[in-house]
Amino acid sequence: MAETDLSSADDAALVRAAQKWDMGAFEELVARHRDKIYRRAYSMMRNEDEALDLSQEAWVKGWQRLKQFQRESSFSTWMTRIVINLCLDELRKQRRQRTGSIEELDEDSGGVERQMPAVIVNPTERLERGELRQRIDRGLDQLSYEHRTVLVLHEFEQMEYKEIAKAMDCSIGTVMSRLFYARRRLAAVLADLKDAK
Amino acid sequence: MTAEQQLKLQALLDGELPEKEARETAAWVARDAEAADLARELRQTRQALADAEPGLRVAESREFYWSRIERDIRRLEQAPTLSQPVSVLARLRRLLVPVSAVAALVVIVLATGLWVGFWGRPIRPDTEMTMADSGAFTYHDYANGTTLVWLDYPAER
Amino acid sequence: MRFKKILRPWCGWMAVVCFLLTFTGLAAQAKDLKFEARLIWATHAQKSPDPNHKPVTAEVRKKLEALPLKWANYFEVSRKNLAVPRGGSEQVTLSDQCRMGVKDVKGEYIEVSQIGKGVPVLKLTQRLPKGEMLVLSGNAPDATGWLVVLKRVE
Repeated sequence: MAETDLSSADDAALVRAAQKWDMGAFEELVARHRDKIYRRAYSMMRNEDEALDLSQEAWVKGWQRLKQFQRESSFSTWMTRIVINLCLDELRKQRRQRTGSIEELDEDSGGVERQMPAVIVNPTERLERGELRQRIDRGLDQLSYEHRTVLVLHEFEQMEYKEIAKAMDCSIGTVMSRLFYARRRLAAVLADLKDAK
Repeated sequence: MTAEQQLKLQALLDGELPEKEARETAAWVARDAEAADLARELRQTRQALADAEPGLRVAESREFYWSRIERDIRRLEQAPTLSQPVSVLARLRRLLVPVSAVAALVVIVLATGLWVGFWGRPIRPDTEMTMADSGAFTYHDYANGTTLVWLDYPAER
Repeated sequence: MRFKKILRPWCGWMAVVCFLLTFTGLAAQAKDLKFEARLIWATHAQKSPDPNHKPVTAEVRKKLEALPLKWANYFEVSRKNLAVPRGGSEQVTLSDQCRMGVKDVKGEYIEVSQIGKGVPVLKLTQRLPKGEMLVLSGNAPDATGWLVVLKRVE
């Protein structure tokens, strides 16, 4: 594909060209979607260097598996699934190296968040977008990897409970508990409650 | 409100309940003030997340970000071809019956500096890592005679 | 039978070749492998805050610029020479936190090991013909980087 055509071609055309080993076309796809893939990796890993490495690894895997892409979803959704799986593998590996904490046990059983009264979360009236993003970022940082992953997969990737359970190798009940905990924890941060722990 | 009720309320909002159960749960939320408050909180949290996923961007330039990907792709693509010269030489060795042809082959092997075991053991790759952190990758600049090994080793944390 | 006919003259040629190889191999044994090792600090800054650091030589700079490294400038922190005996090994300390070992493995292969802050960081086996360079690199704080450059000089 000529270089001048690449920037004006749509994703489907670029994917077709890349599937015929046109690396220039693949590079254009990388340039278009790299931020989204990196963002997804960062939302799960919460570490810029790890997110960068995993996003690049995802692109390499994407190239290797491109022939398997059958257009059942958009190209960026397909790539996002690849980076999510890489992040999940990495998080599992890191988890094996960590010991469980009392706080994590408490999170799994629901902890104080079950008993907390409902709070008012009204970001559009009270917070500017930038501040909202910072609060969400802070809230995500406070979550354990299990809770953050469930939240990211459900809220940002619109995955169903059973898809998340399969990806995380846990029961649907566990997905529901973790999602509930994560949402309530985030609500407390957004509602400006101090010392939500 | 029990834990089960809370999770059922959440599942209602997420569209995960079967139709009959969804109707029953919605009816309960409508008449229970505490449930209604919780439902509102969960909806608002969901809306906040939808409105403001942190808008991160890759800090590196397009070229630099791509260069690592391209190198890894090429490195992985080149790895299987290392065996080709071996199989070609092994075939030549079997086929070349005349003594002069065999001697010429040995001279060629010596002249190019490659040494392959008699029974066709694979040529040793340029770089073998026996111990490295998981983030290491190698890049060969054959034109300039330089090999770069990039490590995730942190100089300081 | 046919196989033995083919094999007999071939063995004769092999014997000649082996003799030649042995002779040249023994001659090569006498010489040590000589290397130059440099510890380099990479940065976007124009100058190093340490006055003892010098910009790298033009030759090294040219080779580093051809690599996909993001930094604009390279400063030599230390440089040491190594003489590795055939079949043996040698270690060199490039800084109080960085040591490098080179071992002659076989033929043109060397084993390079690096120890950073007392911890083994890397061990690799590499072909490094005369004139060629091996560059080990990683990130350092404040968007700078470290490089250990090993060049075979003989």
